[in-house]
Amino acid sequence: MRLADLWRVSLRQVWRHRRRYWAVVLAIALGTAGLITLVTMGREVKNHLNQDLDLIGGVTVVRLRLDNNQAEAFQWFRPAAAAAVKALPGVQEVSRLAVGRAPVTWRGQQERITVLAVDGSFWKVRGFQPLYGILFGPQAVSGRQRVCVTGSDRARKLFGREDVVGLSLEVHHDLYKIVGVLEESVPEIMRNAVFLPLTTARDRVPGIMLPDRLYVRCRTWDDVPAVASAIPRVVGQHQSDERLLVEINWDRWHRVVKMAWWVEFFVYAAVGVTLLLGTVGIWNIMMAVVRSRTREIGLKKAMGAEDSDILAQFLAEALCLSLGAGLVGVAIGAALVEILGLVLGLHPPAKLFLLSVGLSLALAVLIGVGAGLLPSVQASRMNVVEATRYE
Amino acid sequence: MSSRVAAAGADQPLIQVSRLAKHYQNGQGTITVLKEINLQVEPGDMVAIMGPSGSGKSTLLFILGLLLPPTRGTYLFAGRDVLNLDRTAQAEFRRHRVGLVFQSCDLLEKSTVYENLEFPLIYAGVDRRDRPPRIMAALERVKLTHRVRHGANLLSGGEKQRVAVARALVNQPQVILADEPTGQLDRENSHLIVDHFQEIAAAGGTAVVVVTHDPEIAARCSRKYLLQDGVLVEL
Repeated sequence: MRLADLWRVSLRQVWRHRRRYWAVVLAIALGTAGLITLVTMGREVKNHLNQDLDLIGGVTVVRLRLDNNQAEAFQWFRPAAAAAVKALPGVQEVSRLAVGRAPVTWRGQQERITVLAVDGSFWKVRGFQPLYGILFGPQAVSGRQRVCVTGSDRARKLFGREDVVGLSLEVHHDLYKIVGVLEESVPEIMRNAVFLPLTTARDRVPGIMLPDRLYVRCRTWDDVPAVASAIPRVVGQHQSDERLLVEINWDRWHRVVKMAWWVEFFVYAAVGVTLLLGTVGIWNIMMAVVRSRTREIGLKKAMGAEDSDILAQFLAEALCLSLGAGLVGVAIGAALVEILGLVLGLHPPAKLFLLSVGLSLALAVLIGVGAGLLPSVQASRMNVVEATRYE
Repeated sequence: MSSRVAAAGADQPLIQVSRLAKHYQNGQGTITVLKEINLQVEPGDMVAIMGPSGSGKSTLLFILGLLLPPTRGTYLFAGRDVLNLDRTAQAEFRRHRVGLVFQSCDLLEKSTVYENLEFPLIYAGVDRRDRPPRIMAALERVKLTHRVRHGANLLSGGEKQRVAVARALVNQPQVILADEPTGQLDRENSHLIVDHFQEIAAAGGTAVVVVTHDPEIAARCSRKYLLQDGVLVEL
């Protein structure tokens, strides 16, 4: 039997009995669409989720510190080392930080408080948002501007209220304009601190040391172990890593990863079960089809069809079903990816989408062959005389 | 195909069956359906096999179509022993040498007349462009060319059986084996079918073996046999 005839006859057969097949086609199409969406959007959604992960413990942030206790010479993170860490695969952003205490004056009263000197990416790395105003950016840092952000508790203690944007604060004899107040859901030390641009603080505040802390935000929690293990080597290529401490809350990381794994597992399991149901559906329907077409099989054998012709025809019908369902699934999946991209503002790589389409169609072929093989073999081995006399 | 008949059958019969027997085993023992069958069919012959129900007429026909193996005996087709063929060769034999017609007008109901006739050609590997003229020629012989695009389920009983005859003819077989082809037809349609068989046999080359209950049908055949108690007797 020629290949062109085989596909033409099989497609015609499936189309003529389409009402019988719609449920399994739907099951496989939905499973395929789910798979495409998961494969294409999974990584992007995870990235999106990780950006706000400080809500559940900031498990994607790796804290680096150079331990200067009893050090002969003060150690700090050089820009080249920070840039090299940022270039590591899986790293989304880095931020250098210096901590010190400085005198702050307001209405004639002076108090020594914690001052954090940060660069423009600090807020993004930590996932902080302003309660009022704005959080200064890279321009304020590179322009050495005299602006500051206060913690909410510090604003209340100094001014008796939280909305202090636009007021000025004297830090070590210099006036700084308050551009923002930090949200309340930050660590206590930050609620009581004043934040200055790293460059301005180094120029004007004697109590501020060089940045001996580096925050590293990884793209996803899956990247954390690899980034953490690569950091000492990368830092060591640019400066001494003798006193480098890498701090990760592994307990929290394990809990989040475990939770995410289960969520992912259940989503994939749901897709898998849907596809499995489709497979069982095709198998079941093909068995019924073989039984109901017993006379036809006998007749075709009497016309001269070989066992292999019958096997090929039923297998091709199963493949037409599963591939047809797969193509419907690809169309639904493409629409879902497009809609999710618009809603979440994500742009998954086209390569990943094509990969998921290839994977889905390969899976559809596998389902077709897997579900159709046994019924097809059964059909091909039918006894001609019994088949032609089947009622 | 008919040229091959002439070449193969110039000095020997188309079908030569000798001492053919068929036994079945059931839980209570052995049932003998065919005891000692001897039959010779020449190209262009029209042979009727009669007999009561359960006498083994259909079994004999299935053996001649290589749908069923005999228990013993020899079966030469155009001088060639065909009982030792493997399954693939048996299928090839059915594709090119034999056309089968069954009692119950077995057409593929959801297919058109054209598609029903196309299947034997597909299995025979006939090129798609060569199929329409062969299908139309076969339908012409049963006077049904006007029904070529109709669904098989829309045909009358007589028309269905005529399409079944056309399907048996489409691969230009050397013998048509018909198992009670008029069993479900009225008198008029039965005679129409036999008319077609007579024309086919008269055209030369193709032999027709008809299993029938009907003495009127048998009377129109060139040779008649009675199958009784497992033995075939020429009438």
